[in-house]
Amino acid sequence: MADTHTTDAPHQEAPLVTGNLGIREITQLVSYHTEKRPPSTWYMAFAVSSTLLAVLLVMIAYLFWNGVGVWGNNNPVGWGWPIVNFVFWVGIGHAGTLISAILFLFRQRWRTAINRSAEAMTLFAVICALLFPTIHVGRVWVIYWTLPLPNQMEMWPQFKSPLLWDVFAVSVYFTVSLIFWYVGLIPDLGTLRDRARSAFRRRIMAFFALGWTGANRHWRNYEKTYLLLAALATPLVLSVHSVVSFDFAVSIIPGWHTTIFPPYFVAGAIFSGFAMVMTLLIIARKVYGIRNIITMDHLEKMAIIILVTGTMVGFAYITEFFIAWYSQVEYEQYAFLNRATGPYAWAYWIMMSCNLLFPQFFWIKRLRRSIPFLFITSIIVNIGMWFERFVITVISLHRDFLPSSWDYFNPTIVDILTLIGSFGLFLTLFLIFLRFLPMVAMAEVKMVLPEADPHHYEKH
Amino acid sequence: MADTLHSSPILVKLVDTAEPTRGHALKPYQWTGGTRAYLVPMLIGAATLAVSLVVGFSETFREQFYFSYLVGWTFCLSLALGALFVVLIKHLTKASWIVALRRIPEALAASFPFLALLSIPIIIGLFDDHGLYHHWSIDGIADPGSEHYDEILAGKVAYLNKPFFLLRLAFYFVIWTLVSSKLWGLSLRQDLSGNAHIAAKQRKVSAWGLPLVALTTAFGSYDLLMSVDPHWFSTIFGVYFFAGAFMAAFCLIALLCMFLQRMGMLRGVVTREHYHDLGKLMFAFVVFWAYIAFSQYMLYWYGGIPEETIWFRHRLEHGWETHSAILLVAHFILPFLILLPRAVKRNLPLLAVMAVWLLVMQWFDHHWLAMPVLHYDQATFHWLDVSCWIGLTALFLGVTLWRLSRHALVPQGDPFLAKSLRFENV
Repeated sequence: MADTHTTDAPHQEAPLVTGNLGIREITQLVSYHTEKRPPSTWYMAFAVSSTLLAVLLVMIAYLFWNGVGVWGNNNPVGWGWPIVNFVFWVGIGHAGTLISAILFLFRQRWRTAINRSAEAMTLFAVICALLFPTIHVGRVWVIYWTLPLPNQMEMWPQFKSPLLWDVFAVSVYFTVSLIFWYVGLIPDLGTLRDRARSAFRRRIMAFFALGWTGANRHWRNYEKTYLLLAALATPLVLSVHSVVSFDFAVSIIPGWHTTIFPPYFVAGAIFSGFAMVMTLLIIARKVYGIRNIITMDHLEKMAIIILVTGTMVGFAYITEFFIAWYSQVEYEQYAFLNRATGPYAWAYWIMMSCNLLFPQFFWIKRLRRSIPFLFITSIIVNIGMWFERFVITVISLHRDFLPSSWDYFNPTIVDILTLIGSFGLFLTLFLIFLRFLPMVAMAEVKMVLPEADPHHYEKH
Repeated sequence: MADTLHSSPILVKLVDTAEPTRGHALKPYQWTGGTRAYLVPMLIGAATLAVSLVVGFSETFREQFYFSYLVGWTFCLSLALGALFVVLIKHLTKASWIVALRRIPEALAASFPFLALLSIPIIIGLFDDHGLYHHWSIDGIADPGSEHYDEILAGKVAYLNKPFFLLRLAFYFVIWTLVSSKLWGLSLRQDLSGNAHIAAKQRKVSAWGLPLVALTTAFGSYDLLMSVDPHWFSTIFGVYFFAGAFMAAFCLIALLCMFLQRMGMLRGVVTREHYHDLGKLMFAFVVFWAYIAFSQYMLYWYGGIPEETIWFRHRLEHGWETHSAILLVAHFILPFLILLPRAVKRNLPLLAVMAVWLLVMQWFDHHWLAMPVLHYDQATFHWLDVSCWIGLTALFLGVTLWRLSRHALVPQGDPFLAKSLRFENV
């Protein structure tokens, strides 16, 4: 029933929460899952994800013992799967802060149902992302050299290197996203504290709720903080993936060195991030029975964002291709021709069809509101976005300026298992989040209920 | 001027594709500005433009004139396109706050047929061997035996040639006119009938219109502004053009609202709350423009490939470095700092100053894009730059105001108008 409830009448706004849920029901529905034993589905998922996490840990140990030679990276493909995976995960880590910061500034009230879990997902994706460059450096025990720490050797990182900018961009993004997420959690932690049955649980929740009482003054400070954090986080949403794109674009490698990279990467990141949010929430809303909070309308809006950002990415693909021809630089022209027709043409066309063509189905309203179709598309989009980074990284490198070194890049089993294992890390963290924290921002959802409008009871 | 407009149905159609609906406007939403409000700018514009044209087509000034005209004309074009984006995005996101002042971007976006008429000097410039695009349009560019032969441009001949250029320009204008006049017509029909389902149709047109308008805007900017220096290329150029256009549109919308309110219209309709939001968007897109401009500059600077950096080299020597510095300071740093506080966005005189300032910077930006191609050896302003700009802009504004005067000033049939009227920033 809930899935069909919506209104398309242009003169009225569809309700954001369906099923006649009131304030009390929302609290009950969301808090309940952190208080009871998780469903058996949760245990099964956790078993799978923690196994994958174990695989990741084994792969990392194996890597540290043997060195990066265990990967398929070679010369000229010095950046193989680890960098592909890094960019892939950073990209996914964009939706959360976009939803919580930019959509907040644009007064998109529907964001309240999905922002909490999207932000959590963001943090976990960024953790997965940070893992890859860290283990890629080779001598991981001196990773702290990426930071500008004063030392007796007068050794400093290269400030002109975008790799260093990455360290700052991604870690600042992670920090601000974490703070933002935590600030948003405070009122809900207060609710959990008040509902806690055991003294132990109450004490933990009370510690993290920072003495929240829901007083007027608390709310005033809270809302001001939230607004300021949203304003600070907004440029970060754009800057992180822009800096990641600089890793490629500041070089002079054909296919990397192009000016549209920063906004194009940001659009792609939002695209893949929303797809991942959709994959996770389609499952979560069903398993946890919160379809009246994360409604069909929410999924449809996400589908529209996927359509818009997918088309923007497609626009960038076409622009790159056109300008490569227009530039009349033969290396640029060759790089793009090689993408579309060379040995990796299969990867290029996977990217094109998953990212540009497939989301176009979302022009059809029926498909935007079909759960199976949304679920499949959200996965296809992320496959496409992984391949986009593969196309950019590997295809651009595998035929470099010296034709005698041209070769076909092959990943090793370690590459493959590390990627799969990173999903283990991501899903394990997400499952722990679902188990212990309210997956929906209860306080914020209550604010978009019709009765939250101060004039609600004046209407006749 | 108004009389000639009235007596010439073709000219009227060019200015306003819709029949006048003023008679159906609710009283508080009627145009009460008389004829002076649009006649004065129209006459100033026409007179200034006439002088510019007469002098400009003389032998001495012709080359300068084409460039001056291009800058002024693309400035007006960018305002119309920016306004069109505002309308498209408004419908797609069902934004309700902007409904009360929606008619203004709609009226600005309905200018494409008129702007097409004003493109005639550009087209003449295309066919002139000393004209705008002579670097690629000159005969023999692809003929190895000719003295004009250019190996690189010979490779671009399939795209950069006069017939195809004209065909593309026509295509862009067909798309822009089609989308904007459909939205304009729907909006006016909504005034009359109050039919709530028109909103759904507006959304539909916006949905297929947005990707088309975006693509044509990008390619339009390559053709009109980037190909003035045909060796150079930048994939972000279309986004750069859009960023400036979108920002400038918000400035002009705010200014037009203030102008109409001074004339006694829209009183109590457009409030400080709406201006505050317009100010936020001006601020946001000042930053967005800087982000795009920085991306383009930094990536080419860092790469250091001569065929890419030469374009910036031209803008960093012979006096153009001052223009580049002004762009950085006055198109980003100062407006960023000034527009940041909340109080400024709610202070109408200050906001008006910033809107005018940023509109001047939008023109300055286009000047910076095009003019170093002509005056690569010495940065300069020519009086024709200013006269073409003022002439075209005044005419563009006069015609827009006249178009506005023919209809209700507020989309009175929009189901969200009441919500927009009582909108408040919390």
